[in-house]
Amino acid sequence: MRRREFVRALVSFFVAGKAASAQQRMNDPTLPPPAPVPWTLGLNTRTPIPATGLADEIATAELRFFTPLQMSTLTRLSDVLLPPLNGKPGAAQAQTPMFLDFLIGSSSEQRQKVYTGGLDWLEATAQAKYKTAFAQLDDTQAGEVIKPWLRTWMSDNPPTEAHADFINIAHDDIRSATVNSKAWHDVPSIGAEPHTESGIYWLPIEPDVYGENPAYAHTQPHVQAMPKGGQKMPVYSR
Amino acid sequence: MRNEVHDVLIIGSGHAGGMAAKILTEAGIRCLMLNAGPVVDIARDAERLPASDLPYRGFRPPGHIDHVFQSNEFNANVWVDEQEVPYTFEPNQPYNWVRVRLFGGRSLFWSRQSFRLSDYEFKCRSHDGFGEDWPIGHADLAPYYSRVERIFRVAGAMDGPAQMPDGAFILDDDPWTPSMQRFINAAKPLNIPVCKQRRAMGVDGLASSVNLLLPDAERTGNLTSIANAVVREITVDKNTGLPNGCNFVDRISRREMSVKARVVVLAAGTLESTRLLLNSGLANSSGVLGRYLTDQIYGAGVVASVPEARGRKGAGIMGGGAIVPRFRNIDTKSDKFLRGYAFNVSSMVGGLSARNFAAYGAELEKKLEEYYGSGFQMTIMGEVLGRYENHVRIDKDKVDAWGIPVLHVDTKYTDNEYNMAKDAVEVGVELCESAGFEVLSKNPIPNPPGYSIHEIGTCRMGDDPKKSVLNKWNQSHDHKNLFVVDGASFTSGGWQNPTMTILSLSMRASEHLASEMNKGDL
Repeated sequence: MRRREFVRALVSFFVAGKAASAQQRMNDPTLPPPAPVPWTLGLNTRTPIPATGLADEIATAELRFFTPLQMSTLTRLSDVLLPPLNGKPGAAQAQTPMFLDFLIGSSSEQRQKVYTGGLDWLEATAQAKYKTAFAQLDDTQAGEVIKPWLRTWMSDNPPTEAHADFINIAHDDIRSATVNSKAWHDVPSIGAEPHTESGIYWLPIEPDVYGENPAYAHTQPHVQAMPKGGQKMPVYSR
Repeated sequence: MRNEVHDVLIIGSGHAGGMAAKILTEAGIRCLMLNAGPVVDIARDAERLPASDLPYRGFRPPGHIDHVFQSNEFNANVWVDEQEVPYTFEPNQPYNWVRVRLFGGRSLFWSRQSFRLSDYEFKCRSHDGFGEDWPIGHADLAPYYSRVERIFRVAGAMDGPAQMPDGAFILDDDPWTPSMQRFINAAKPLNIPVCKQRRAMGVDGLASSVNLLLPDAERTGNLTSIANAVVREITVDKNTGLPNGCNFVDRISRREMSVKARVVVLAAGTLESTRLLLNSGLANSSGVLGRYLTDQIYGAGVVASVPEARGRKGAGIMGGGAIVPRFRNIDTKSDKFLRGYAFNVSSMVGGLSARNFAAYGAELEKKLEEYYGSGFQMTIMGEVLGRYENHVRIDKDKVDAWGIPVLHVDTKYTDNEYNMAKDAVEVGVELCESAGFEVLSKNPIPNPPGYSIHEIGTCRMGDDPKKSVLNKWNQSHDHKNLFVVDGASFTSGGWQNPTMTILSLSMRASEHLASEMNKGDL
């Protein structure tokens, strides 16, 4: 009799201990509640934030706006106006021409015309003067085409004169796009070399939570990730 | 849900609405404030980044804020999206409508330049015969200017000529730098005054409705504020014909709702207040609602270099700034234009923009290094004449994201403004050259109308109900319980930034309104 009571007491001690331990776990706020867990719970301020890079650095993009000839002209123009200097990357190294294909391709028709008209004019001038493509001109020849149209200007009023408008607007855009590129940012600026702009970036203060804004409905990604060599991108049927 | 009738409905939360809320609630009046956009929290909504981390490399993302020249990728999300709330204009008459709908409105972002209008503006017709005199003068508004200057902690010197009245300033007695002194010496023979700049210091680096006005109103317990309330129209009591509240739509849920109030105070910003009145069919027995839209010409100016400061020798020479108040058509009369312009003058210590050099590549980089820290800039703020033809009206063919008819802006600059800008550049070049500075670039063409973000008029005040929308208390001639306390109420413009005048008018109108309400007259 006495032995049976001892065994019962022993069993109840262990059972009670397990129950208390389970109770403790239930009250631990760091553990999820019993499954099935409400699927929106879990993210909290201690959740690590994955480190991500820039698509510009690891991806390529297709030419979407300029013609191949216009792009070769723009690439040469960019290289002439902002070549690599003092260890800083030039416009071509900063992928500025392809960035401008994206930016100008998304811009107003008026701005697009300044660029397409200007690039076509550069090509025609090179052909007329040197019987070769602008992209093939050496620095001196390119300078002879560009320099007569350089102007000083201020505020939001670039020159409006034909050709001068394109040369000066494109020069300004090429410089800004290059200075604000990752390639430029990664090399410290010395002296009066411009610094990559830095500032307070305002997030969308209240995003379009319903995704109803028609402006964004058909936006296609401009830059697509390239698969690593030989690796095929998986395709999931949905 | 409550079916409460509020004492006063205030539409808009910027400087004008914030001041109305402060004055009215402190007088014991219960106010409801509606604002079309969300409350902003910089800790939640912003982060410091380099432009290289942004998809547009710092460029303004195309298509949404194309007429906000001040915008870039960093601040793109603070402005009103032109696709969400469009406005229209003729292709050959572009208008830059620069809007912020965040709680606090444009008081969150402004240059802090803080000037009074003088009687050269208030009594402009008496001075030169053009336009209309205001129904008030500087003496009427001076006590309110002083109180506003103390709230906003305006720094300046008591050095203003008659066309730039002095105020209750935190005294700026910093000495001029040698480059500024040379400029002053060059201006003296031409009788051009050069004065210390006047700027609102605010508190903790900000001089906004949200930190200087609304906290006082909230402390009274008499203010209720609703964010994301896009007002569709002001409602009218069928029996009395008087405004009695408004219908609004919740920006996020698109739920249609209504509120009632004994008095309606419009402070939505000049053109939004007028748009609301036009969409509501109110306050226009005069036919001048929407008329006499003006602003200021910006964009023209001169950039120069101080030769002695080149080669990194600018320390002790460069730095500081000044305001050159209007000097044309004060004691003399120009045959090229009426009124006048001011110059903002800056002696710069940093790098110059590449736009100042007709060069590229290595030659340009050499110039930028050589000229570093030697820049001297003058930019214009010029009065735009108030003309009946320059107006806004409702575009019946277009609505915004909430189905509210949009505004059509029909305005342009005339020879008066273009001649003024041209004169400014000629004078700027003359002053810089007299001072021994090298002029690098100049621009005589003003930016498009609206660019200055100083749009005023369209509900102008006056004594004659047939020629004006509001009386001298910012009160509708047609509806005694309707007030417009923002820049729409200006009878005419000036060279001065309008913020101090908007704040002072709102303070004065709100005290009058509180007095009338407490007497039982409203």
